[in-house]
Amino acid sequence: MALQDFRPMQERCSNCLNCRWVPFDKLKSERFGENCPSIAYNNFMTYSARGRFQLGQTILDGDADYTETITELVHDCMACGSCDVTCKVCRYNLEPLEHNIELKVDAVEKGKTLPAQAGIMAALKQEQTMIPGSKKAQRLDWAKGIQVKDLFKDKAEVAFYPGCKYSYDPKLQKVAQAALKLLIDAGADVGIMGNADACCGGRALQMGFRAEFTERAEANIKAFNTAGVKVIVTPCSDCYHALKRQYAKLGLAIEVLHTVEYLERLIEEGKLTFTKSVNMTVTYHDPCHLGRLGEPFVPWDGTEKKIMNQVHTWSPKRPRYNGAYGIYDAPRNVLAAIPGLRLVEMDRIREYAWCCGAGGGCSQTLPEYSAWTASERITEANTTGAEAMVTACPWCEANFMGAVDEHGKSIQVFDIIELVQQAL
Amino acid sequence: MALTAEIYQAFEDVVGQRNISQDKGVLESYRCITSQSSAHYGPFDHKTPLPQAVIMPGSTEEVQKIIKLCNKYKIQFKASTTFWSAMGFIGSENAIQLDMRRMKGIEIDEKNMIAVVEPYAIGAVVQVEAMKVGLNCNIPGVGCSSSVVASTAGWVGFGPTSISMGVAGENMLGAEWVLPDGEVLRTGSLGAGAGWFNGEGPGPSTRSVLRGFQGTTGTMGVCTKVAIRLHPWPGPTCIPTRGQTPAYKASLPDNFKCYTLCYPSWEAWAKGAAMLHEAEIVYLGHRQFNMFGRDIKAAMLRILNDPNGQLADLEPLLQDPELKKQNELMKMDIQVVLAGMTARDIAYKEKVLDRILELCGGWKSEMMLEKDMQDYVLLYLLRLGHKNLNYTLCGSYEGNYGLSSNVFVATAVIEEASELKDKWAKTHTTIADTGGDSDMGSLSIIGGGGAMGWEFFVNFDAYDKASIQGTNDFIDETQKWMTSKGLGVDMGRWNQDIRRKDGLNFTQEEHDAMYVNAAQPLVFAYQWKVREAVNPNHLGGSYYRTLTPSKIGLA
Amino acid sequence: MNATLNQLAGIVGQAGVSTTPESLAAYASDSSFATPMKPAAVVKVQSAEQVEALVKWANQTQTPLVPVSSGAPHYKGDTVAEMPGSVIVDLSGMKKILNINRQQRMAVVEPGVTYGELQAALAKEGMCLSMPLAPRATKSVAASVLDLEPRLNALHQWNYTEPLRCTEVTWGDGNRMFTGEAGAGPRDLEKQWAAQKWQVSPTGPNMLDFYRLLTASQGTMGIVTWVSLRCELLPQVERTYLVPAAKLEDVNEFAYKTLRVRFSDGLFVMNGAALASLMGGNAEEVKTLKAELPTYVAVVNVVGRELLPEERVQAQEQDIAEIAQACGLQLLPSVPGLRAEQVRAKAFEPSQVPFWKETAKGAFQDIFFTTTLNRTPEFIEAVQKQAIAAGYPVEDIGVYIQPINMGVGCHCEFTLPYNAACAKESARAKKLFVDISETISSMGAYFSRPHGIWARLQLNKDAQSTIALKKVKGIFDPNGILNPGKLSV
Repeated sequence: MALQDFRPMQERCSNCLNCRWVPFDKLKSERFGENCPSIAYNNFMTYSARGRFQLGQTILDGDADYTETITELVHDCMACGSCDVTCKVCRYNLEPLEHNIELKVDAVEKGKTLPAQAGIMAALKQEQTMIPGSKKAQRLDWAKGIQVKDLFKDKAEVAFYPGCKYSYDPKLQKVAQAALKLLIDAGADVGIMGNADACCGGRALQMGFRAEFTERAEANIKAFNTAGVKVIVTPCSDCYHALKRQYAKLGLAIEVLHTVEYLERLIEEGKLTFTKSVNMTVTYHDPCHLGRLGEPFVPWDGTEKKIMNQVHTWSPKRPRYNGAYGIYDAPRNVLAAIPGLRLVEMDRIREYAWCCGAGGGCSQTLPEYSAWTASERITEANTTGAEAMVTACPWCEANFMGAVDEHGKSIQVFDIIELVQQAL
Repeated sequence: MALTAEIYQAFEDVVGQRNISQDKGVLESYRCITSQSSAHYGPFDHKTPLPQAVIMPGSTEEVQKIIKLCNKYKIQFKASTTFWSAMGFIGSENAIQLDMRRMKGIEIDEKNMIAVVEPYAIGAVVQVEAMKVGLNCNIPGVGCSSSVVASTAGWVGFGPTSISMGVAGENMLGAEWVLPDGEVLRTGSLGAGAGWFNGEGPGPSTRSVLRGFQGTTGTMGVCTKVAIRLHPWPGPTCIPTRGQTPAYKASLPDNFKCYTLCYPSWEAWAKGAAMLHEAEIVYLGHRQFNMFGRDIKAAMLRILNDPNGQLADLEPLLQDPELKKQNELMKMDIQVVLAGMTARDIAYKEKVLDRILELCGGWKSEMMLEKDMQDYVLLYLLRLGHKNLNYTLCGSYEGNYGLSSNVFVATAVIEEASELKDKWAKTHTTIADTGGDSDMGSLSIIGGGGAMGWEFFVNFDAYDKASIQGTNDFIDETQKWMTSKGLGVDMGRWNQDIRRKDGLNFTQEEHDAMYVNAAQPLVFAYQWKVREAVNPNHLGGSYYRTLTPSKIGLA
Repeated sequence: MNATLNQLAGIVGQAGVSTTPESLAAYASDSSFATPMKPAAVVKVQSAEQVEALVKWANQTQTPLVPVSSGAPHYKGDTVAEMPGSVIVDLSGMKKILNINRQQRMAVVEPGVTYGELQAALAKEGMCLSMPLAPRATKSVAASVLDLEPRLNALHQWNYTEPLRCTEVTWGDGNRMFTGEAGAGPRDLEKQWAAQKWQVSPTGPNMLDFYRLLTASQGTMGIVTWVSLRCELLPQVERTYLVPAAKLEDVNEFAYKTLRVRFSDGLFVMNGAALASLMGGNAEEVKTLKAELPTYVAVVNVVGRELLPEERVQAQEQDIAEIAQACGLQLLPSVPGLRAEQVRAKAFEPSQVPFWKETAKGAFQDIFFTTTLNRTPEFIEAVQKQAIAAGYPVEDIGVYIQPINMGVGCHCEFTLPYNAACAKESARAKKLFVDISETISSMGAYFSRPHGIWARLQLNKDAQSTIALKKVKGIFDPNGILNPGKLSV
């Protein structure tokens, strides 16, 4: 697809501007009613999905250029998909998220990028990670001391794929370690990718660097296939989305599970039982790429079709990604199984959760805006009275750690794996 | 023409750098593409003019300063918030657009059932905040995503709950208004420092200048705060919901009932509607899902109520004999919600409803009694959350055979209007062919009943130029038919006299030529005088209809 | 002068013009403290055409006109001219009920039609009009609704102006038009009716709410020659209850809760003195009743109209009784000395002659304004304090609190009865009236219908509203010939 292929969609957007809000049926308060960090922070309508549809038309028509403002605006989308869910409450033929990303791709192809993106993409190219400063040679340092198979030396059913953030971030490496140990202790036949372990490239796609993403995806798919695993387990939601939805489009046929899904299975099968009580009230933050963007890819080969003169549809019926089948219950079920733990929900949850602020590469490219987005979420979490916020994505965790709410108050942040570990 | 650096700087000094833009890409997104929303004068495949800047004020004081600058430099302005439909957009190439998004405050006086809201407080957020204290607000047909201030001060504002809550203008209490000359008028009790509860007076109401049958669509300054009357909400503090997106459903207690009432004829339908007006039992009344078209509404409801449903399911669903039967049974229908304040109250209301159906030979649709369907419809109607439901079918629509009228008059020729549309759809491929009658509208457009407001949805594809033009042609055809019936101006043409086909304002000469022949041209001559008095630099645009008094011999 | 009279006679006919001392004296003053001013002539008009001609003539001759629709006695000073040489335009002879439409629940009436006349005509069609509290027998329905007199049933008020809908008006500049929905069609009622237009919607007809310029305007903007009115179905079952209370806060709470759930068809609160005045046939009875009645009483009416009337009344009376109980009060059919049905018979009907407020002491002065229910106790306290300081018997002050506009606001009214024959009492009442008005104005009482001195008190608080009003007045009555001096504009 190229931007001009989105022309029908751009012109079929009806300017209802529901894309600024959580689905209205789920609205619980004025304070936490907006869904799109980009327009919530910047305010101009252009920052909404509708505005981007209109901007796209303008760019195709040659009526506006990628000025500094517009370039930043295009890259300011967190690719969180919240607009996509709301739009699809009633529309069946618009894909705002795909369009937002396509705008980024168009900008990137025209050399219109943000200053910080150059370093990130250089790191991806040179060190196979999107965390500048990190070295390929140190990628597996997090796993030192853990007896685990190297999938390029030994065969195993399960590949544990922690992703860049868990691999390199010293504050988060313990989560990857804990997750892997949990799998091993539960008897899983698990290994890691050894020298072939590299960035999934998902965030490159979120930033509009499609060619770079595709290059990484193809290399990784080849590696997974070579390893011959049946299941890939990842604790990172960004990786999960990349592997499950985007890689599948490029031919990955291996089952992809997030750690929370795997843990849920272990609990259901009685392979994981808790012995300790975790007396804490927590709230759960649904990572965008695990929740609403965590739906699996479904292959489709069809064509557009108009029925009843002007009703636009597809033949055969086209798969629809609207967040209905994201991973929402698995993490909640795991939390519910932990003795003593109490879950209280925020206003914006599940398919209409507010983004942590790290999406679309924004935590690296637009840090002030990203920190504000995180602060909004922490304000929301603190409103629930929870003692801690739990999530299932390193990018979310990193963005929440150290962030404070609108009153300057922080909250403890845990990966769900850490709480599981505490209860064992 | 672009603003000079000096003028731009003057505006920037008011709102700060972050809240003003003249970037072309940003400005372009503040142009209305009139085929993409129901503009009531097209549809056309063009845009409204490009603003010279977009400015986002954060307070009444900032609005005031901006308007004073506009007067100083003779720049037109228009404030909008949720930017639905062309009326919120400027009509001149020498104009700026105010985006009121930063002003979104809500204050609720629970005791006296009043909410004071700023422009970006949309219907949905006012409703959720009101429900927390057992109250609710009238959400007009435009849907809960639109600004309450815009509906209350800027446009007509009737909707499903108007039968029990009144139309937006009826709910308007005190208002804070920056007039086109930059002075701030506070109406009624507010101006006297006595609170927001009364927007009338003292003596003659100056609010008469700020809205009539409809609001002044942003042509008479900027309403920065308005108080609205709230209404009882005998439900939980937050509507409990269930179901997967997009088929969310309400899980409300038994004092809420949602029915689709069906009648054997339009005579019976009209009689039933009049009895519902008189009986005062209905919390909400709207003919809603017929908007998709008489032939497909049952199938559409099945799709909407299924998380996996899609428009591609329409064709197979239309073959389902049981669904066909259900569809036929609700040919002449209307959705109503009863809300019991107590157990006795709901029991009484149910009895009266049954009695009305008995007297009119009506029935409740069986399909719509299914629990999930009832709860889907209940949630939809209470929140009116899916404004884009209007666009579900084809992406765009315009209303034809739209009027606000006596129910008996409107229904008498509805079948004729239906045949007109059906015939057009069969002979032209430019509009959706879904069975002629696609009427939707409110049980009442005035508190307590007395008149109905409705329109047929003409669904078309805004990506298809022929579809846009064909829809426009069809609205013209409808207008010819309505004129021949003495039914006045079609809702689809309500705005044709206030914005030109090229998206620009009409000139005074053009307006004079139109209104000199009005049934009572004095109306427009007085509006001219009021504009001259309140908006001497004509900064509001031609949505404010005026006739030069000398054209009818007045001084 | 003779030339003037001849011109007037040319418009309304010789019989329509009167300059006899008696007729001029009848309009020179009223029962309020307004300064008397003898008019130059009294003109009885019979049609809109005559009114239009008269206003055009007044513009040419710069003659002030004072429109009057109700019959005497008048109590608010608005019918007393403030300019010498004024001509009274007496519309009380325009008594036609132009239309009653059961299907649309609408009536169209001329300004001379009184409540008694209209209700009788409506009853024949199975309808009635919402009532203000026991209006005097001569009260014009049109004048009453145009002056926004509060209605007993707040729940049928979809806005503050109900049941007023459309009007025919001759503005101060002499131009005549229809307002509201009626303004969108031909200026001919017959033609509109033939087209099934029944003057239902009051707003507009376009961007401007013309009718709102006429409400509470005391005849300063235009002269109205018909009004359309939203009617109600005639009750088949009607029951009334009393809720006595020692504290106003309690009865207010009851009113809030009852209106909040949209129960009752008429609900208002009176203190013992006001209720005694309403119910007592003479001064002695008023005195006796006042001694017996509770401090405050809420009067609650419940009706059943066409469908299942008894069921409606039964359901509501049980629910309302429970609300009363939750407020620590009781819903009763009677209190010592008074049955609720008797109250209904007086409150919901035009007053007998003399007007009920005159029963206690012969004369009275009202002070009324709008506020919210929760603020009424503080106003009462202030009024009582002021009365005590003035040596006025506090127990004589009538208090009438009428929720309006679905309970969002309320009309709060104090009645000061006095003996007009006693100069000292009159002077004390007059001073107290002024003092109370000023005090409560400073406390935030909103004189939305600013009669007499209230206009000054009100408009002084709000320069922008005054400027806006003056601009509007300048458009619709550019020569200032309509009731000049009123409203200070």
